[in-house]
Amino acid sequence: MKKIDKTLLLDASTRLLFVMTDTQYEVLIQEFDILLEQMALIGKIEGVDHVAPMTFSLQNETMQLREDVPSPSLSQTQATQNATFVSEGQIKLPKVVG
Amino acid sequence: MQPLSVKDKSSYRKWLVNMHWLDHTILDIHQALVKKTVTPLQLVEEALRRAKADTWNTFEITTEALAIQQAKALTTLEVNNPFWGIPFVIKDNFSTQGIQTTAGSNILNGYIPLFDATVYQKLIQAKAILIGKTTLDELAMGGTGMTGHKGYQYNPFDASKTRQIGGSSSGSAAAVSSGMVPFSLGSDTGDSVRKPASYAGLVGFKPTWGRISRYGLFPFAPSLDHVAYFTRSVEDASILTNLLSGPDTNDATSSTQPLPVYHFSQTIPGKKIAVIHEVMDSIQNPIILQRFKQTLEALTKAGAQIDYVHFPLALLQAIYPTYMTLSCAEATSNNANLDGLKFGPGYQGKTYQDVMMQSRTAGFSELIKRRFVIGSFVLMKENQQDLFLRAQRVRRMIVENLQKLYQTYDVIYLPAAPTIAPKFTDSSDRLSSQYLIADSHLALGNFAGLPSVTLPIGFEQNMPFGANIMGRAFEEATTLEVAYVLEQFTGLKNLSILTRKPS
Repeated sequence: MKKIDKTLLLDASTRLLFVMTDTQYEVLIQEFDILLEQMALIGKIEGVDHVAPMTFSLQNETMQLREDVPSPSLSQTQATQNATFVSEGQIKLPKVVG
Repeated sequence: MQPLSVKDKSSYRKWLVNMHWLDHTILDIHQALVKKTVTPLQLVEEALRRAKADTWNTFEITTEALAIQQAKALTTLEVNNPFWGIPFVIKDNFSTQGIQTTAGSNILNGYIPLFDATVYQKLIQAKAILIGKTTLDELAMGGTGMTGHKGYQYNPFDASKTRQIGGSSSGSAAAVSSGMVPFSLGSDTGDSVRKPASYAGLVGFKPTWGRISRYGLFPFAPSLDHVAYFTRSVEDASILTNLLSGPDTNDATSSTQPLPVYHFSQTIPGKKIAVIHEVMDSIQNPIILQRFKQTLEALTKAGAQIDYVHFPLALLQAIYPTYMTLSCAEATSNNANLDGLKFGPGYQGKTYQDVMMQSRTAGFSELIKRRFVIGSFVLMKENQQDLFLRAQRVRRMIVENLQKLYQTYDVIYLPAAPTIAPKFTDSSDRLSSQYLIADSHLALGNFAGLPSVTLPIGFEQNMPFGANIMGRAFEEATTLEVAYVLEQFTGLKNLSILTRKPS
């Protein structure tokens, strides 16, 4: 397991596309200390690593693939109505080149 | 709006005579609508009057004009539709077309959905009337009602405003316990309806995972997320379940299982009820323990067989870290769409990555950022075996142990929480048994997707506390039938700060 330090957390938050303050990293490191201590207890549960992981506890047993029936989709106006920067019916982004 | 004095019995009797129909259960209000002793417009006007007088920070937004318009349009009574003309509120993480929906996060300020959540659509089709959208812990990722972008949600039972109501469905709990509406919708990923129900004296019910479509519910951790709701009676929870249930082509996880059929009775002969020793051992509050014991006696008198059973302690201690690991991992990927480009307040930047960075930095609170980093960390290739996959393995062990119990028992019955509503200033030892087990055991219902109901059983320091019943998958009927017997015993049906009887 990777060692928790500020460099690692800074890398994680940068990849998650947000900035955190030094104080926030300190709180996070403390939170990790507790969580990893709790997870270490889990690692001691007998036989835990011989059990298959579970994603969903109940089977999605009943839904069938639906018919491929065309239905109206969003208009261009609707699709862009929640964006702040819109130009010529498109969401406007800062220039990528130049 | 002031709570009724709990000391004065004569004024309580006078108040009862003049009690507004809004202070009844859904089924009783419906009878009054059928008899024409009240109209939808009168109900809505009173609900809006109370909503405007709100001092508990209950609302993200109220929908006054729409509600009045809908109430005025209801001219043809529907005798067989108990939701006709009934005011309600909904947690602000359900999509409502044309109505701002922020999930309590600044990153969604100004976002107006283009479609309705299926559950909201069903309520509108049933001609229930939306009064407003309620506060929550940001993105439903909290259990205190303290982390939403509108600030603290206060508990209506605590006039000093020093106590939490719990979360994340905090505003929805406050709206029902303060008497603004007879029911509200919330969501429940760890205990986000059933814990606040305990702190606010309400019935809080989460049916089986898959029973109700989640289309339009903002995803937090889809393997654990459920639609859930607050009511003031068990019967109201049952009719709401049947209204909202059923398959939905927009949600491939929704089930076609037949709707529950309820047989509410004063007795439950032969029902087998398990009480987990290790959970009881983690609760110290003597008043909660004593009252819980009394309810066990009542259930026995009603014909149930009660057994104390054992559950592996290590698995119970694993509930909280397993929940944190799984829910943070799922949340990190589910919220990757909150990029500040397609919706949100519109932050400036030199590149599109810069826009996203600005939006997510300003848009998420510290708690949310910490949870996303935790989620990202547990999913890192080097950590997956020891953290994420191990949590998934523990989840299987927990679920298999529950299934073993359900081979013998119809329901598991426990106190819903180890304490009354905590104060805002309270902190917990997060490695203690009380925190790891007694405060976390309701998440068992999310791990296994089981129907689970909390209902009030008593008071301490004038604050309510509840108990929880968890049944087998798709056996909502049995779960609520046991709850109904308890409701008869406690006499706490239709509890709010306005209807509470003098002690």
